[in-house]
Amino acid sequence: MKNLIRTVAFVLLLASCSNDDNLELVAFDNPEVSLNIPSDFPELNSAVYNNLPTQYGIELGEKLFFDNKLSADNTISCSTCHIQKNAFSDHNKKAIGIENRIGLRNVPPIQNMAFMQFYNWDGSKLKLEDQPLVPIITHEEMDSSILEVIGKIEDDEDYIELFYKAFGDEEITPDRIYNSIAQYEYTLISSNSKYDKVKRGEGETFTEEEAQGYAVFKEKCISCHSTELFTDQSFRNIGFPLNSNSEEAGRSRVTGDIKDYMSFRVPSLRNIEYTAPYGSFGQFATLKDLLDYLSNGVLEADNLDPILKDNDNRISLTDEEKNNLISFLKTLSDKEFIGQ
Amino acid sequence: MKNSRRYLLISLIVLGFMSCSDDDVPVANNVTLEFNNTFEDNTIVLGDATSSEATVHTSDAGQVHHFSELKYVISNIRLIKEDGTEIPYNVNDLDKGATVVDQSKEATLQYVLSDIPSDEYVQIKFGLGVKTELNNLDQASFPDFYAVAGANDTQMHWEWGTGYRFTKIEGFYDTDNKELSIHTGSTIEGEEGSYTQGVDAYRDITLDLPTNAIVGSGSPKIKIKADFDYLLSGNSYTITLVSTTDITNNATPSAHTATEMMKFVDNIGGNGDTDITGMFSITAVEN
Repeated sequence: MKNLIRTVAFVLLLASCSNDDNLELVAFDNPEVSLNIPSDFPELNSAVYNNLPTQYGIELGEKLFFDNKLSADNTISCSTCHIQKNAFSDHNKKAIGIENRIGLRNVPPIQNMAFMQFYNWDGSKLKLEDQPLVPIITHEEMDSSILEVIGKIEDDEDYIELFYKAFGDEEITPDRIYNSIAQYEYTLISSNSKYDKVKRGEGETFTEEEAQGYAVFKEKCISCHSTELFTDQSFRNIGFPLNSNSEEAGRSRVTGDIKDYMSFRVPSLRNIEYTAPYGSFGQFATLKDLLDYLSNGVLEADNLDPILKDNDNRISLTDEEKNNLISFLKTLSDKEFIGQ
Repeated sequence: MKNSRRYLLISLIVLGFMSCSDDDVPVANNVTLEFNNTFEDNTIVLGDATSSEATVHTSDAGQVHHFSELKYVISNIRLIKEDGTEIPYNVNDLDKGATVVDQSKEATLQYVLSDIPSDEYVQIKFGLGVKTELNNLDQASFPDFYAVAGANDTQMHWEWGTGYRFTKIEGFYDTDNKELSIHTGSTIEGEEGSYTQGVDAYRDITLDLPTNAIVGSGSPKIKIKADFDYLLSGNSYTITLVSTTDITNNATPSAHTATEMMKFVDNIGGNGDTDITGMFSITAVEN
């Protein structure tokens, strides 16, 4: 219906301008771009259906994603921390914003967002469209405001054209900014790793080490890192070293429930080779460090995940198992996705 | 044309005078809300850790404490007539109907409601915080309130929750003046009636006026006491501040998340059920 109104309005606009040669109007044609949904991936977040990616919506979102004007001093963009070759994360322990301000947590990769039901380490946002405002206004990130951003881009010819092409008129609104960034991010789907190709029978096979690592994974990791996203999207306290910042409470920061204290969303393992350091605030420099910690024993907590509680607060792994596991995890690397 | 306009103006003025000649009461007038932030009956004086002037208070659990910063948001203001009719005051416009009460800024302790219909009012309702449907840091819709709340010396944006901070209290406790820092705000997600996650820290306050506020030829002042004794010693919880990570029975002095915040919210804003006054009371209505 909205589309119909838009089309009718546009036709009327064209008609009314038919005598005016000064206006260069092109027909409003902004086709939907269907997402390339891998088989066996979980359901899409229902928000996607209300903000289906379009050709120019994606193009606009990508331009905004890479634009330093989103930050107060024009020094950083989304892509400063969300770097493609790191699966749209970075190598800092905690995020670094303008003027080298240090944030609270490790930058999460941006991949397969369309299939996630929760965003951020604590699941504070349930729709991707609600997320872009957070870094824009957060003091330790871009420290700007949405009207400040609009003020910087509203006279830019390229933006005027893109907003027009994406939304049918030139108006630059906060929602259009959030929606277009989300549309671009929805297209960032990683599903062409060696693991995927083995699964799909595309001629690749696991090495002996990888195959053994996969067996270890299925025995000791898959209860949390399940589904083709390699996360069950639950929140768990697994006894990792604690972030002492008073802003941190894990999932309970959002829910207010003491049972969620210092619980974090199980992260996807896809492209994990590119996203070191690991943990909610980069506690572990390498996968080996992380597996050593899990194997040696984690911190005790009232709400420590039962899987750990029932196993003497550890996931015991031999050195050989760790090495094989790391070999397997590297089969989740998607070179195409990271642009190599 | 010019002449006829002038005649029209003159006749309007005359009519205006005539219509008022029998009755001098304007159709509407101001109501001033005056906030007095106290520990019991003592108005709070702010001060840094070693201040000798700051008002020091002792909680029911025996902890001395004082504040260096004290701010809270008031919005969704309604005045209630004798017959129960509610007169809402810009309840859906944060620019015109919400304010940050800041103990360090004298001017913010008085909030003037303009154009209140002439009548007698028996009750006032207001929100401590911002109701969920407006609590999304929508700068485009409410740029003025966004700016006031987000000012460098105010810091009432809760960025990660994309909402406002409803209260922000900084101060010191125990004899060795350890820092306390209590922020509250909502994290609730979803639509009304079907919230999907999070907590609602907004509290609707209802206060009966001890004498009717008569709006008309007069513009009354309603004096509201906010007694921060309730923060640690409220109707819902008697709180002991503890600097450990075991927060099951007590509260850490830094509440920046939903985890412990709700104890403080219920104490100062009421639990929304049996307690709808929280720390607030009306000390007087000056007509």
